Amino acid sequence: MINGSPKKCKSSSGALINDLKTCFSSDIYIKNYEFSTPKVSDNTILELNDFDSLVFSFPLYVDGIPSHLLSVLCYMEEIGFKNKNIRVYCIVNSGFYEGLQNRIAINILKNWCNKVGLKWGLGIGIGGGGALASMEQCPLFKGPKKSLGKAFKELSDNIIKDAYAEDIFISVNLPRIAYKLAAEMGWKSKIKENGLTVKDLDRQL
Amino acid sequence: MKLVISDVDNLPFSSSEDTVVIKDNGKIHNCIGCFGCWVKNPGQCLIKDGYEDMGKKLSICSELILISKCTYGSLSPFVKNVLDRGISYIHPNFVIRNGEMHHKRRYKNIIKITAYFYGEDISDLEKETAEKLILANSVNFDGIVKEVVFLNNVDELRGDSF
Repeated sequence: MINGSPKKCKSSSGALINDLKTCFSSDIYIKNYEFSTPKVSDNTILELNDFDSLVFSFPLYVDGIPSHLLSVLCYMEEIGFKNKNIRVYCIVNSGFYEGLQNRIAINILKNWCNKVGLKWGLGIGIGGGGALASMEQCPLFKGPKKSLGKAFKELSDNIIKDAYAEDIFISVNLPRIAYKLAAEMGWKSKIKENGLTVKDLDRQL
Repeated sequence: MKLVISDVDNLPFSSSEDTVVIKDNGKIHNCIGCFGCWVKNPGQCLIKDGYEDMGKKLSICSELILISKCTYGSLSPFVKNVLDRGISYIHPNFVIRNGEMHHKRRYKNIIKITAYFYGEDISDLEKETAEKLILANSVNFDGIVKEVVFLNNVDELRGDSF
């Protein structure tokens, strides 16, 4: 499971990986990788050949894949994969409410799979990702993670079966207006913590 | 002002009074998702590597020209990196645009985007993805797509196109 967030800690992408891991029984071997910079060692890339599946979890950046992760994907293409039986899955989260807004990033990863000759599994686009890092204690299938639980069940079932499925697009189970207001309250509180005023959010240079 | 972001070093034109060209100086750092450009120093990235003022540059441009190797239907890592570092152009708060959640404007300028994707073996799926990406960028910038062009070779770029 590859965390492709550039954040070293407390990322939504990491929280999602932790949730997904709970869907597997203990006899499934899972290893975590953190791809938070544009560089990954050749040994790490070679090691990935040992796995049946790769699951990328990353945030949506400017409608696509974060640039550091794109650099890593390019380097992986350069090194290449000897094991062409690997199936690739992904979880893309964005701050926007609609999970469908992650579709382009999922398609970019599908195109990468075609280029490097790996098999595609399925992608999950999750909206409302901004809220996920702070909901780690909330169990899957409950409250705001109700849809996420169902999607992760389908994802984990497909990983176990080494199967392909249609992409899934979901949002956190909160009304869009509540999510929007909560996000805006969050920005207000963060800017005040930094000794600035709420008006500074609108600053133009 | 025209703002050109290019991963090609030898372009048939250079920066001038009304054109700013952003190229790779080999020192660009990736966005680390700290949101400092929204809540610590609004409008400017905190990473000082020569690319910290992308938000400001986007705010004074009327035309954005992207020249990029087509990378799995995405912009190349460098061009994408410059855009990732420029999110201070938009406001952290949300608006509903075309029925979807997007970021609110920070500035009033309308950006027209032209993208030149080059590469010898760009697949139809990559072309489709790239066109959708540029359209999504224009929606998030609340701007307009002028043109998305695919080139087999970067040498097909002509100075008079700009």
